[in-house]
Amino acid sequence: MIGCADKREQPRELTGADAANGLAVIERVGCAACHRIPGVAWPTGTVGGSLDGFGNQSMIAGRFPNQPQTLAVWVRDAPSMAPATGMPAMPITPAEARDVAAYLYTLDDD
Amino acid sequence: MTEAKSETGFDPELYKRFPTSGERPEGELEKLEKIWCGPKGWEWITVINNNYVGVYYIGAAMLFFVLAGILSLLMRTQLALPLNGFLEQETYNQLFTMHGTIMMFLFAVPAVEALGVLLLPQMLGARDLPFPRLSAYAFWAYLIGGLAFFCSIFFGLAPNGGWFMYPPLTSMTYSPGINADFWLLGIGFIEISAIAGAIEIIVGVLKNRAPGMTLDKMPIFAWGMLIFACMIIIAFPSVILATTLMELERAFGWPFFDALKGGDPLLWQHLFWFFGHPEVYIIFLPAAAAMSTMVAAVARTPLVGYRLVVLAMIATGFISFGVWSHHMFTTGMPSISIGFFSSASMAVSLPAGIQVFAWIATVAAGKMRFSTPGLFVLGSLTVFVMGGLTGVMVAMVPFDWQAHDSYFIVAHLHYVLIGGMVFPFFAAIYFWTPMSSSRPLSERLGKWVFWLMFAGMHIAFLPMHLTGLMGMPRRVYTYLPDRGWEIPNMISTVGAFLFAVGVLIWIVDMIRNFRPFGPRDAGNVFDSGGLEWLPTGLYSTRSIPIVTTRYPLWEQPNLARDVEAGRYFLPDAPTGDRETLVTSPLNAEPQYLQRIPRPSGWHVWAAVFTAGFFLLLTIQAYWASAVSGVLAVYCVFMWGWLLDRPRIQPTVDIGAGIQVPTYMSGPRSHGWWAMVITLVVAGMILVMTAFSYVFLWSRNPLDWIAPPQTGLIIIATMYAAALVAVRASNAVLVADRPRSPQLATALMLGALALAAGAWWIDLTGWWATGLTPQVSGQGATVFYFLSWQGFFVGTSAIMGLFVLLRFLTGQVEAKRPATFELIGLYLAYTAGQGLISVLLTRLFPGG
Amino acid sequence: MTEPIDGLQGWPPPVLDPAGPFAGPVNTLSWALFGIVIAVFVVVMIALGIALFGPRSWRRRIGGEKVLWGLGLAFPVVVLSALLVWGLGLTAQLSEDPDPSEMRVRVTGEMWWWRVAYLDAQGNEAFQDANEVHIPVGQPVVFELEAADVIHSFWVPRLGGKMDMIPGRRNILRLQADEPGSYGGQCAEYCGGPHALMGLIVVAHTPEDFAAWRAKQAAPSTGLVAASALPVAAGRQVFQASGCGACHAINGTDANGQAGPDLSHVGSRRTLGAGILPNNQGTLAGWISDSQAIKPGNRMPAYPVLTGQQLRDVSAYLESLE
Repeated sequence: MIGCADKREQPRELTGADAANGLAVIERVGCAACHRIPGVAWPTGTVGGSLDGFGNQSMIAGRFPNQPQTLAVWVRDAPSMAPATGMPAMPITPAEARDVAAYLYTLDDD
Repeated sequence: MTEAKSETGFDPELYKRFPTSGERPEGELEKLEKIWCGPKGWEWITVINNNYVGVYYIGAAMLFFVLAGILSLLMRTQLALPLNGFLEQETYNQLFTMHGTIMMFLFAVPAVEALGVLLLPQMLGARDLPFPRLSAYAFWAYLIGGLAFFCSIFFGLAPNGGWFMYPPLTSMTYSPGINADFWLLGIGFIEISAIAGAIEIIVGVLKNRAPGMTLDKMPIFAWGMLIFACMIIIAFPSVILATTLMELERAFGWPFFDALKGGDPLLWQHLFWFFGHPEVYIIFLPAAAAMSTMVAAVARTPLVGYRLVVLAMIATGFISFGVWSHHMFTTGMPSISIGFFSSASMAVSLPAGIQVFAWIATVAAGKMRFSTPGLFVLGSLTVFVMGGLTGVMVAMVPFDWQAHDSYFIVAHLHYVLIGGMVFPFFAAIYFWTPMSSSRPLSERLGKWVFWLMFAGMHIAFLPMHLTGLMGMPRRVYTYLPDRGWEIPNMISTVGAFLFAVGVLIWIVDMIRNFRPFGPRDAGNVFDSGGLEWLPTGLYSTRSIPIVTTRYPLWEQPNLARDVEAGRYFLPDAPTGDRETLVTSPLNAEPQYLQRIPRPSGWHVWAAVFTAGFFLLLTIQAYWASAVSGVLAVYCVFMWGWLLDRPRIQPTVDIGAGIQVPTYMSGPRSHGWWAMVITLVVAGMILVMTAFSYVFLWSRNPLDWIAPPQTGLIIIATMYAAALVAVRASNAVLVADRPRSPQLATALMLGALALAAGAWWIDLTGWWATGLTPQVSGQGATVFYFLSWQGFFVGTSAIMGLFVLLRFLTGQVEAKRPATFELIGLYLAYTAGQGLISVLLTRLFPGG
Repeated sequence: MTEPIDGLQGWPPPVLDPAGPFAGPVNTLSWALFGIVIAVFVVVMIALGIALFGPRSWRRRIGGEKVLWGLGLAFPVVVLSALLVWGLGLTAQLSEDPDPSEMRVRVTGEMWWWRVAYLDAQGNEAFQDANEVHIPVGQPVVFELEAADVIHSFWVPRLGGKMDMIPGRRNILRLQADEPGSYGGQCAEYCGGPHALMGLIVVAHTPEDFAAWRAKQAAPSTGLVAASALPVAAGRQVFQASGCGACHAINGTDANGQAGPDLSHVGSRRTLGAGILPNNQGTLAGWISDSQAIKPGNRMPAYPVLTGQQLRDVSAYLESLE
């Protein structure tokens, strides 16, 4: 029975990360050029997936577990994890990447 | 006070016979009421009495105001936040275009025209307007066309080039859909409507005043409407030409505005703004004249500086034709042009300032009451002065180079339009509702309406001055964040909604209290001095008074009582039909009795088919459009057929034994005036065409080819001969010889044949040179001259048919020369226009 | 408030925050005009106030025709005439003919971007760029303004007034920046579609920096030298194979299309899409893949056919072109 424990309940926390700054970083580097991101009115890019409800998603890009550390690496250097991805490395620091991840985790379905 | 010399030979001593004494005969009033009865059933659609048409017209105008206002609320919602996704880019672009177009063309001009239709006859002491079916036609064409135009939004087909639709953006290349055609053809109705209204008003104001009402005693509102109408006659032809040329370019590739093919985008700007700037004064002057009326009434004292105000309005009208290029300061004009237009633009503020100080002086001289009209009047003064001052700012060219096409201009234009027209119009609604409705509007709600609109207006538009200086351009569907534009935009949006709440309360007030078309009205609630406050029925006043002052109800004692008792002119209907008096333009001396037609369906059908013609053309249903056009012509034919009727008695008694004719032709007659005014419109189109021709030549002189080398003499001779034939036809008819009708008809048709033949030779001559309309600016303008002339030859042919039919039905006689005279004028104009066109295109630049 | 990417800050209002001699006098004029119109408005309101609420003797003085002649005619004539003289004089000053020695830049308004061409001493185009104009400080620069399709308008409020770009005409605008920096602007004549997203940047350098910049721009990008290094080489192949050169030119390669912006030094631009996107590999990839979602209606089609790898490669290549 323990094997069926709801793994989604594992808390997604990034200690010391600032979700508000994450939104500012998203706007500064233009993530919305490819992604539709709640909280960013424009652009509403369609190249990558919509990040609506990302907080509840179990996977990143359909391949990786949606966990804080994984996400923080992904947003900064996706090609290092998935060489064929269309998402390039982004010019943000690791601390900024964590802030971005924190913001994305605020995006749940409501 | 010196007595004016008699203008027409009428003996002013005859006025002393009025008011007559004794009772009027039994049944006279009932007969008047029966002749002027109100509509029943379908007659509500065919009604032509200005008391009905005026209310319909104002209602339609306010409907468009509300519709365009809703569009603006959608726009402001979109702009409240940066990069807002409330409206898509294309939707926003269509909405802002429609907002401007509807406000300027479907609300502002029709609204003030409607005010004239409703008020002028009663203000002037006439029974109705001189051409009531014409204004009814204008109304129906406007309503049908305007509603169809508005519905284009729901199909995503609304124009999206901005309300002044600059090419090349609006050319076929960059606007391939029919959206732009909707605008071009949609504006077509408004143009017809406005011109019809203008003809009505000029003739009504100058020829249908109560006896004794000299120009100096004419209500100031009538002066405003007169100048308004004259301005329409001179300004609208320019936009008629511009829209026609653009449609020709879009549909057939005639390159008027295409720089690559010898046209010039600036030609559109010149043609449009030559209309566009006077347009805003066309909108402002009647409202200002209404202000002058209401300020005097609410302050219960005559207007201070009446003559100065009249001169100021005339000066405004005049100067406003000389400022159009201030909309083009950033197009790279030569310095000398810039200097001229900047000076003129500063100068035009002077007469407006005089009017403002006349209002302040009047308030000082009287005792202002803060009723709802009073509040709107004061609010309008404040807002208009602010708008006028920012206008002076943008007349300074270096400042305009920064402010042009930014939100500063949006602020300026809304201040002058809302202060100069919307607020005066709301004041007028509150002020004159008691004249049309059995209940006045609510003073309590009215104060809410005013304060919400006043506050909302400032909150919405005052920040826009700043927004423009912050760098925000016009006509943007969104803006980037982090500029600081968010805060003023949000404030503006809040203000817009506040304003809208005010309008909503007004709508509620209208629903609750406006009761028109009833047997009685609410009375002279504001104790005003104008004739429109006399007790009236659908026949206007029971008798037509003699006017001796500017404020008859204040200064002519017992006037209301005597008028109602029938003790002045025309207490009855001597010909048994609807009539009014025609008086002379300067001194309003009685000249003849005008018989006004009864309602019939032809003008409504003509409006439906006119609207159909334009709309079907827009959606490219060409055959249906042609059928509709033919039917429209047929309806106009039938409408006109009922005019120029046999007369029953040569003169009638219009009161106290004074006899006047019942029929008039020649320069005294209202029909002659209407035709001449129409021909002035045509002439202005010709002038603007000539301007276009010379302008395009100046841009590309090397592209001009030599004109046809032969034909000029014979063409000119034929047109000259046509002119002679027309003259001869009229002279022969009036000479009343035994075979006069046949000869006159033959001469008229001969003139037509000469004009048509001259045109044909001109056309084939140009065709033979190998020039085509698509190939160059010369081709486009020369063939436009030829097409325009062809249109006149064609319509002259229709008139020729009319003449022939009149002859064959025995209606051509020396005693009734009016039809021949008017058609003769038209034909003579056609010949003259052809002559000018052929001389210009073949002699300039020559070669 | 973060710095806007194109340098067009709303506060202080750029029209009132002049950065050069073609904007400074206009700013002075603006303040003077504000002062005058506010003063006139106050006078009118006082007159109205007296007319409404004042004592009888005051109201009698205002309630006559003299007020119309005096306040309504004489006073405005004097004030307006003085203003007119000032305005016309300043107009003449701002529209002085250019000196032949002044640097010339030809900017052509396109739907919905700016084609920038730097002219040499003979007036021929030396090299092209897009959406950014670089100028040296301290000297007037002559902008030759043209339009490729519809009417646009060139407006950089901190540097001066605007001038329209009209097909079939060439208009001249002289501007000067006194301090190095970025001066943002926006198209100021409605040109359909995403007119709202047609921004521009004027970057002013010290004369030394400008000379260095100009030399670098005139030559092919040094990034091309690294063309042998992956993934940039792969990206260059994607660029060629996808036919991008049919619309875009890259100096030093055989891509020479003129329909779209010149990409020779696109990596060094501050923004993409005419002032609307920050410039990095990610946004460039997003633009290439589907610029329609970002700037609807713009003339560049979407490229959904590119794989993720191709997208990253080509955007890496273009970003390397500094």
